[in-house]
Amino acid sequence: MKKLLEVRNLHVSYHTYAGEVQSVRGVSFDVHDGETLAIVGESGCGKSVTARSIMGLIKAPFGEIKTGSELRYCGEDMRAFDAKKWAHYRGGEASIIFQDALAALNPTMKIGKQITENITVHEHIKKKEANERAESLLHQVGIPDAKQKMNSYPHQLSGGMRQRVMIAIAFACNPKLLIADEPTTALDVTIQAQILDMIRSLQREKNTSVILITHDLGIVANIATRILIMYSGKVVEKGTSEEIFYHPVHPYTKALLRAIPKLTDPSKGPLYSISGHPPDLIDPPQGCPFAARCPHCMNVCVEAHPEDFDCGAGHTAACWLLHPLARHIGSEVE
Amino acid sequence: MLSYSIRRFAEMILTLFIIATATFFLLAAVPGDPLTERVEKLPPQIRQNLYEKYGLNKPLLERYVITMRGLAVGNFGESIVYPGQTVQSILQEKLPASARLGIQQMVLGIGIGMILGIIAAMKKNTWLDYGIITLAILFISIPHLIFGLLLQKIFAGELGWFPVIGWPKGKDLWTGGWQYTILPTLAGCFSYIAAYSRLLKTSMLDVVNQEYILTAESKGLSKMHIVLKHVLRNSLIPVITNLPMSIAMCITGSFFIERIFSIPGVGMYYVLSVNERDLPLIMGQTVILSIIYIVVIFITDILYTVVDPRISIQGGRR
Repeated sequence: MKKLLEVRNLHVSYHTYAGEVQSVRGVSFDVHDGETLAIVGESGCGKSVTARSIMGLIKAPFGEIKTGSELRYCGEDMRAFDAKKWAHYRGGEASIIFQDALAALNPTMKIGKQITENITVHEHIKKKEANERAESLLHQVGIPDAKQKMNSYPHQLSGGMRQRVMIAIAFACNPKLLIADEPTTALDVTIQAQILDMIRSLQREKNTSVILITHDLGIVANIATRILIMYSGKVVEKGTSEEIFYHPVHPYTKALLRAIPKLTDPSKGPLYSISGHPPDLIDPPQGCPFAARCPHCMNVCVEAHPEDFDCGAGHTAACWLLHPLARHIGSEVE
Repeated sequence: MLSYSIRRFAEMILTLFIIATATFFLLAAVPGDPLTERVEKLPPQIRQNLYEKYGLNKPLLERYVITMRGLAVGNFGESIVYPGQTVQSILQEKLPASARLGIQQMVLGIGIGMILGIIAAMKKNTWLDYGIITLAILFISIPHLIFGLLLQKIFAGELGWFPVIGWPKGKDLWTGGWQYTILPTLAGCFSYIAAYSRLLKTSMLDVVNQEYILTAESKGLSKMHIVLKHVLRNSLIPVITNLPMSIAMCITGSFFIERIFSIPGVGMYYVLSVNERDLPLIMGQTVILSIIYIVVIFITDILYTVVDPRISIQGGRR
């Protein structure tokens, strides 16, 4: 499979009055043609910042992509993109769906216009054609009376409908890459499933690669080809969907999997949660960031950050338990 | 919409009634009356006649009823300080000059102010932004009487490009005699430039941080397109909120400019009538200015709904 997007050693910082917040600290991954990559992690782990870096939405003077970070789209260095390249790439090649469609749609612009402006800026077609295309897009994402809804404002639609409009905007120019940044978090469970199904069917139809960002491992199970687990700005484990779900090795991944509520769970006790808090990213710990919350923490975990250990078949994890000297402990961990 | 307008109209009438009543009794509560100073040296009989002429010898409540009845039919009575002139004739003569000056100042000032505000917001943290904001602070701290004198001295006195004083009359009242109006308009518009450039800049910077601007950027739209189509309209609410206050500022603020450029407007009369306690003139002006103000607020409320579709006026329903 062809590599569509390559991210190498991505470092992103935000400069605040309190100091430099190192939101993303050396993230590397690839996105291949037509696949779905899920990035999973809790709030503040840097998954949205990673997504915004890929869209070129990290803004100076507060946000900064550090030198040494590499972003390549179809082999082209994105860090060297000029304004014209960005304008072509954004919306034309890659698009993004945000979590809260109410905040992400312009409240004073008709939704029809919000879709067509994306089309007309990338393809020089007549207004009428753009309108027809927008209408058929709305129809495709399951909005009834698409023609009338073209003239609606975002506040006149329900939450699910608004997210459908966002998806219509994102797919307007048949992008090769779609970033879905928590697309269903603000929606109720039944709508969640519909929205995810729709993203999947559109993805298949247009052969789009999707980066699905979420904090809910439960929803990625049957969507993602590969999964990236992030914690405090770093990738702690990555692998195919099957590997992550059936053979997780990192204690954080295991804890996340345990935290998924199960209907079949016979115990009436409280739901599982990971105790403690993620570390402060203004002054990140020199060792493993999960050490403070990890049930298997060793001396070395506090001292040095673990490298990525290969678990075979593209499955890697950054945990000292995988070190040959610690193997015997690792086998006890289940 | 119709029932909403009717309700608003009823509210306007009520507001006017309260304003007029309050003004009347507040003026009555001040010791002495408009004639006290004027009639001191006059014989008692003439004094008596004068009081009867203006009806000031009647009891307070009766005077109140007479005044309100007059206001209801648009009869404000006769001025005390300018004998022989009715309040209507004074206002009819003086209001157009003030209105034209005010409109020109506001259109020019708010227009330039908004353009500068957009530039400052787009070029945030550059010398252009700092320059505009410094200018705005300068404009807002220097009273426009200083600007008036300065402009008059340079452009009328030394360069001789414009007449020093005066104002178009007769058929030129509304659309002619531009050379007379340029300097006073400029002198007065600086404060609007200052207020609206800062207001719009702040509001735009607030909107720029909204998530839908990220969406617009992720569509690959040009910066100009984003500012004009997405940021500007969403930034207009604070600007509209400020409009009625600007009208009020314009009415009272024109006093100095009208003085400096000898413009026959109401600003001067407004201040003088309060000084001299010319009761009918104060009442007349207060009511007229209140009407203008209330109508502007009504227009403002309609403008909100035009700019932001989320705001709706509820026709008769609560």
